[in-house]
Amino acid sequence: MPVPFDVQRTADETMLTIRGSLDINSAPALAEEIDKVVATRPPAVVVDLSELDLIDSSGVAALVKLYKGVRSSGGAITIAGARDQPLAIFKLLRMDKVFNL
Amino acid sequence: MAASIRISVPGTLRYRPIAVRAVAEAARLVSASSPRDPKNPTIDPLAHDIRHPFDTAVVSAFMEIFNNIAIHAYQRKDGGMIEIEITPSKDAIVIEVKDDGRPFDIDDVAPLPTELDEETLPEGGMGIHIAKTMLDEMTYAPGPPNLWRLCKRLPATQVAVGRS
Repeated sequence: MPVPFDVQRTADETMLTIRGSLDINSAPALAEEIDKVVATRPPAVVVDLSELDLIDSSGVAALVKLYKGVRSSGGAITIAGARDQPLAIFKLLRMDKVFNL
Repeated sequence: MAASIRISVPGTLRYRPIAVRAVAEAARLVSASSPRDPKNPTIDPLAHDIRHPFDTAVVSAFMEIFNNIAIHAYQRKDGGMIEIEITPSKDAIVIEVKDDGRPFDIDDVAPLPTELDEETLPEGGMGIHIAKTMLDEMTYAPGPPNLWRLCKRLPATQVAVGRS
């Protein structure tokens, strides 16, 4: 299964793009990458979900882990581009307001 | 359209995409949603495309139930099977999912926090909440076999649209 994400880092910003399906099968690999991102204490993280088609609770948990990790070290995080099923899940869980989706 | 589709898959996460795909296609039979762009060669025609709210609800709920069985009932171990019976009709879908793993205590699922903010964002325990909220009916009877019954109805205003 291809890893459905990539990370691009600059001095000012870390951009995480997630594609396809973020679920119980793909979330563990993302969680490992999240640990690496959070360890760098990035000042700003942008998560692009515009190419994300499908998410389950494991995928949501991975994003919550990233959100909390970045915020706890004083960084800013923007989650953008959620649509269709992923947006419906965030709304159901009332996370759309916390994430400003 | 009341014929049932029956599939049996090993109860591990490796086989989850097969079951999810079957459920997604069955949901589309009810919602009559069309593929995203069948003429676009860059889009995998087999990829999940569940923009329709009915498909979204059915697939989202089923994914969580499959996860629950693979993780809790079968403890992420090989050897168990999941029996799935999908019954799509003109205005609803019923999915029965059976397993022979450990029974699940559905009453032990904690509710989501009433006030959600950065501090209280949950990092787990969301799956059953997602499934229950997405569906019109969800029941669970401990076994063996354990039986999940999921039902989602198409809103009346969309039944006519879907059949036109």
